Amino acid sequence: MRSTPKTERFVVRAVGGAVLLSAIALLIGWVVASFPKAPIGPRYVGAGNETPRAGGTFVFAAGSNIHTLDPHFAYDTLSTAACRLLYDGLLDYDYDGEMIPSLAAELPTVSADGTIFRFVLRDGIKFHNGREITAEDISWSLHRLLSNRIGSPGYPFFKSILGAPAYHAGEAEHIEGIVVIDQKTLEFRLAEADQTFLNALAMPFAYPIAREHVEALEQAEGIDAVGRQPIGAGPFAFLRWERGVQVELERFDDYWAPAARPDRMVFLENISGDVASARFRNGDLDIIYRPSKVNRLFLRSAEAWAPYRSESPSPSVFALGLNCELPPFDNVHVRRAVAFALDRSKMEKLNPGEVIAATQVLPPMLAPHDPKLPTRQTFDLDRAKEEMRLAGYPNGIEEPVTVWVRGEGDVRLAQLFQQELKAIGIEIELKQVTFATYLRETGKPRVAQAAFTGWHQDFPDPSNFMDILFHSRSIHPQNSENRSFYRNAELDDILDRARPETDRDERLALYAKANAILAEEAPWAFLFYPVDMFAWQPYVKGFRPHPVWLNEYRHVWLDLPRKRVSQSIYEEEAQP
Amino acid sequence: MTRFILQRALWGLLVVMSVVTLVFFLIFVAGDPAVTILGPQARAEQIADFKSKKGLDQPVSKQFLSYLGILPCVRKDSPKYEREDGSRGFCGVLQGDLGESYSHHESVADVIGHRLPRTLLLAALAILFELLIGLSAGIFAALRRNRWADTTIMFATFVGISLPTYVTGPIALLLFAFLLGWFPFGGYGVHALDHIYHAILPSLILAVAGAATYARVMRGELIETLRHDHVRTAKAKGMPPTRVVVRHAIRNALLPVVTLIGLSLPFLVGGAIITEKIFAWPGLGLLTIESINSLDAPVIMAVVLMFGVAVQLGNLLADIAVAALDPRIRLG
Repeated sequence: MRSTPKTERFVVRAVGGAVLLSAIALLIGWVVASFPKAPIGPRYVGAGNETPRAGGTFVFAAGSNIHTLDPHFAYDTLSTAACRLLYDGLLDYDYDGEMIPSLAAELPTVSADGTIFRFVLRDGIKFHNGREITAEDISWSLHRLLSNRIGSPGYPFFKSILGAPAYHAGEAEHIEGIVVIDQKTLEFRLAEADQTFLNALAMPFAYPIAREHVEALEQAEGIDAVGRQPIGAGPFAFLRWERGVQVELERFDDYWAPAARPDRMVFLENISGDVASARFRNGDLDIIYRPSKVNRLFLRSAEAWAPYRSESPSPSVFALGLNCELPPFDNVHVRRAVAFALDRSKMEKLNPGEVIAATQVLPPMLAPHDPKLPTRQTFDLDRAKEEMRLAGYPNGIEEPVTVWVRGEGDVRLAQLFQQELKAIGIEIELKQVTFATYLRETGKPRVAQAAFTGWHQDFPDPSNFMDILFHSRSIHPQNSENRSFYRNAELDDILDRARPETDRDERLALYAKANAILAEEAPWAFLFYPVDMFAWQPYVKGFRPHPVWLNEYRHVWLDLPRKRVSQSIYEEEAQP
Repeated sequence: MTRFILQRALWGLLVVMSVVTLVFFLIFVAGDPAVTILGPQARAEQIADFKSKKGLDQPVSKQFLSYLGILPCVRKDSPKYEREDGSRGFCGVLQGDLGESYSHHESVADVIGHRLPRTLLLAALAILFELLIGLSAGIFAALRRNRWADTTIMFATFVGISLPTYVTGPIALLLFAFLLGWFPFGGYGVHALDHIYHAILPSLILAVAGAATYARVMRGELIETLRHDHVRTAKAKGMPPTRVVVRHAIRNALLPVVTLIGLSLPFLVGGAIITEKIFAWPGLGLLTIESINSLDAPVIMAVVLMFGVAVQLGNLLADIAVAALDPRIRLG
């Protein structure tokens, strides 16, 4: 058949169309195939310097606002992190968690009865304004901290200093127990022996701050102003703070120890976990702490990040607090039943690497945490039912129990455990409140039957957990820290003997005993110890997680100039 | 002409006044700044002290008139609260005092002083990109009218105008920052050059819609101008085609674009709110969002006042510019 012009045109169009379509398909295929992959490893590596070098800007971020840079008010993690760079105290902790002298020349000499501590200051210690620090400065700063005028949350930690309560109440001009002997020597006298006094002195609350600067600022702009433009004695000096955006610090070259390495530290505020993770993987942040969940899973599994990440348990514990004054938890068997009923391994499966199941109040790194504790705080349904029977509730409890929760995280936990409690015959109802209401109401006796709760250590000593959370002395009509209102004369007695005990082994043995009592009596059903994760860029050197200070960046240095890793390397590494 | 300017200025003042009044009273409906600023754990006496210092314990109408500077100062912590002779001073807008930010603990003027240069940097770069990309694309399309290059560019501008920054911004972040690693993933940087490097991606995103608009306008104008007699004459006398286009056509076609730039200025500053939020660029836009979140009333008021004045001023200047450039337009 002869082709007509019409069919010819049709053939041409059809062929042309097919060619065009396949060209478009090819183009799309090519774009998809060559589409860049998400970086699976670090984007930059260091220059390869072996010895620490000075210079560069170290950038890190946090998810919320920094509250203050005034150490006398620094009681949250972010303010503490910033104050750790700006200030120094008499005492500090090394990377093993052992106490070491800092502004003090050596650890203090202690009197035989453990009530008098004598400190000698180091030579050549200076504030950022260049003035030498004397014993008088240490004393003046503590007087500011403990005065009722500024209302610092740090006061309770220093109550044991002789005359501190009278001074705090405004009944004395000076604190009797703080004695300046000479320019370099200082003595603390305690009303009664207290082994945690040195821990308190190592808290940021006790960091000295330049008197002339503080007085001028307070006069001109009020007490708050000190927290906005501080002068301390730490390895970095204050440069500027744009509130809500970032704090910038610069290296203090007159520092008493070898000066810090980076020229500047930039602490970004209000960077959410997801954004921080993306910035970190893009090379914009030098270190990341607690990445968002997805990124945490990624960083844990990515081989290329393995040398540049760390995971270690945080010195804190989370639990379901049971009110020992209110039924049904006034019955120890019901409390034990709850402690047996919760399958904590579910939590570990749902949040891989983020939590460790808790068996006792003391977190794993804090002596005398005992992994072999004959425990009553692990999942055992039969024993849970047996305890319910012993409690006199073989068929369960009729009235549902109200559990107070603080936010979404608590709600998820509660949902996780709802079924298990139902299995032993306890129905729970959730009462979700704001954090402020939670703090206020759970601190009052006979209000909350049960509540999700937890504690983060102030200093590495078991008393910081047990005395505060379970001593009957911590029960008050308002603002109780003992929120399970647990009273046990035997425990009180052990704690009261342990606190001043100077023999270390004897002291730890007492706390081990207390630790076992608490697991057994179950005022809290312990849930988990959170695990902290850090990841840092390969060119960041000298970082390792500190057992006491959460964000400890004093010793980092930057191996600059950093070098870009080519994209192809990720793909090679991605091959199985 | 003078009468027209005066009329427009008065009208503009009225608009700004109504906006300011509306926002001032809206803040009071929205919540209690004292509670928001001091946090849920604040004690009653702290809140009372804060309110008395900031004058928040006064009737709203009194606060408003004092804010404007018509009634004496109600903010007890203001240095102007009490004059040396013991009488009450004024501390309002009329006296050039915008007050003190609740959350930044410095004067509103200082807070804005920190943020404004960053927003201006973003706006300046955005205008640069708009002109660079928009004009060259427009000229190219006009010279290749109705061919595939023109069609492609016009389709691209159509997409560019249609896509809001909250779509293009995250895509750009994902592609150019996270996947390709060419740019930082938002933020502001730590030194001067770093600031510019951080500004490139957000300003490009900010420039997309403007560039697309300019490309379309430029194309239309240029096609129109190329038909004019003087262009034909230039061609006829043997002028090289490039020179004809550059010297005679483009220059004429640029006029409406200039007007557009003037009109877009206030919107570039205002429109940066979303872009600044996406790229975490701590400029005026982000400040606006932050201050609304924390009910930082003095800052919210100042930003509203600034944007209001900027828009009115921009419109007025554009009207005047059009009249000045085209003698056929008579004002008044």
